[in-house]
Amino acid sequence: MKKFVGLFLVLAVLMIVPAVDLVFAAGDEPGEYLDRRVIIWNLFYRLMTVAFVVGTVVSGTMIWQCWRFRESHPNAKPTPYEGTDW
Amino acid sequence: MVLELQKPRPVWQIMFSTHHTDVGLLYLITSLAFLFLGGTLALAIRAELFLPGAQIIGDAMTFNRIFTVHGTTLIFLFIIPFASSVGNYYVPIMVRYKDMAYPKLNAIAFWMIPPAGALIWLGFADFTWYATPPYSIISAPGPAADMWIFGLKILGISSVLGAINFIVTILKCKHPDMSIGQVPLLAWSFLSSSLIILVAIPTFAAALLMLLTDRLGVSGFFNPAMGGDPIAYAHLFWFTFHPEVYVLVIPAIGMMYEIIPRFSRKPIYSYNSGVFAFVLLSIVGFSSWAHHMYATGMSFTEKTVFMVGTLAAVPASAMHVFNFVATMWNGRIKFSTPMMWCVGGIALFFSAGAGGVANAAMPLDFTTHDTYWVVGHFHLFVMGTIAFGSIGMLYYMFPYVTGRMYNETMGKVHFAMSFIGTVLVFFTQHVLGLYGMPRRVFDYPPIPEWIAMNQIATVGAMIIGISMAIFLANIIYSSGKGKLANTEDPFGVGGKYYYPFEAKNPHHD
Repeated sequence: MKKFVGLFLVLAVLMIVPAVDLVFAAGDEPGEYLDRRVIIWNLFYRLMTVAFVVGTVVSGTMIWQCWRFRESHPNAKPTPYEGTDW
Repeated sequence: MVLELQKPRPVWQIMFSTHHTDVGLLYLITSLAFLFLGGTLALAIRAELFLPGAQIIGDAMTFNRIFTVHGTTLIFLFIIPFASSVGNYYVPIMVRYKDMAYPKLNAIAFWMIPPAGALIWLGFADFTWYATPPYSIISAPGPAADMWIFGLKILGISSVLGAINFIVTILKCKHPDMSIGQVPLLAWSFLSSSLIILVAIPTFAAALLMLLTDRLGVSGFFNPAMGGDPIAYAHLFWFTFHPEVYVLVIPAIGMMYEIIPRFSRKPIYSYNSGVFAFVLLSIVGFSSWAHHMYATGMSFTEKTVFMVGTLAAVPASAMHVFNFVATMWNGRIKFSTPMMWCVGGIALFFSAGAGGVANAAMPLDFTTHDTYWVVGHFHLFVMGTIAFGSIGMLYYMFPYVTGRMYNETMGKVHFAMSFIGTVLVFFTQHVLGLYGMPRRVFDYPPIPEWIAMNQIATVGAMIIGISMAIFLANIIYSSGKGKLANTEDPFGVGGKYYYPFEAKNPHHD
């Protein structure tokens, strides 16, 4: 589980860094509109790349665990709580 | 619990009952009726947008009326009353109290909903669920607009009364042996969302009054011709309705907290993180309202503050997702229908959240503002997360409400088709937004990409529509002729459930 948490911490940092960049991509100064658009779309693609990576990891984890921990899996075994009034 | 179909009793006895399971049943039936009504309007909207030009709806005004009532109905007359239904059934039992704290107030809160729904449907206003000023003040036709305002006013009062009842029931009526740290997460979700309602709703209540007096011409709060400012309305509206998003989503997550451990056959991975995330969402919900308004000329500093405030919701939402994933880990998961809806709901919740990060980032917001991206994002939340959690909960409650089991195969088909349809409609709408298609439009130019994506979205909506017809047939047929349920363990997963039928209903003696 620690590796699991560690992995998501790394992914969270990857998410936060471009978000911080985005703050500084916006501006109120006139005359820089076209450049800003280029920067913003660049950041959008970066953000989406990170989002898809994180999404793939999370979705992949969910799909795998739904397959692995389903009750009909050959290696499925009762949890310690079964048969109790947990 | 109400096992009406096994022990029939006069309808009026249920209608005028103040017992929490009876009021829960009334909420349930009302909310489902409005789900199908609002859903039908959604199909009309999608059918209209299948191709450019007028298709089945004659004119833009009618189209505007349809999507205004569609949004208002599904948010205020389906999602919130459905959550109240679940709360009425479960919260008193979870805190081990005989009923809600104020049973008569509870019944009054419910009985405000049908007249409010009638006002909204009979009026059929056309100014969007945002009641866009200055149009809503100057030229929105009455009495439709006024009826909508009164309808929303009544619904607001109903929400506040319900919220007071949930808060008092949970905090003051819970069993003396039960500490607040032992209250189940579903009840915690109602406590959090009720506190948000109490803080948020009064602002919109004031805004509605101001809107009404503006329409009557006695004030000009939001009327530029009289020195007013429509942007002020935007602040008042979003101060209420951004937190309101959390009012909608938090109970749905609470429902998942009830279902996922049950079908994973193990307790929730981290109760404390669930509580913490609910409380955190309740707080940060109030720090982000103006991210709906980046395009209104706010200063850089203001936009940055609201962007950071919005992003603060990400860790709290992620905590819920990871809590669910960790709970399922090492479980022995039974994929009955309620569990499938919840797992699908988590996946779509995550996707909706990822889109939300792009919206919250202010430079990106300018590229997606008022495009179909926003429609896709919002609907992925309300349909993909909230409706999925709610429908999963409905299947979970079904044996307790009717004493019979629903048809499992039909339930799974319902889920599969709804999941595919939801992805087709709302993921496509995100891309459509990036292609620049504005939202709330009756017609669009014949751009090949726009046409193709609108057609994909419409096909997806029709798939959802068919799945909902299967759902309706399933619940009606199974209520009367389904297999008798084993109410001790209807899903065969063991453990100790919360047994709503143990709540003593005096009318059943």
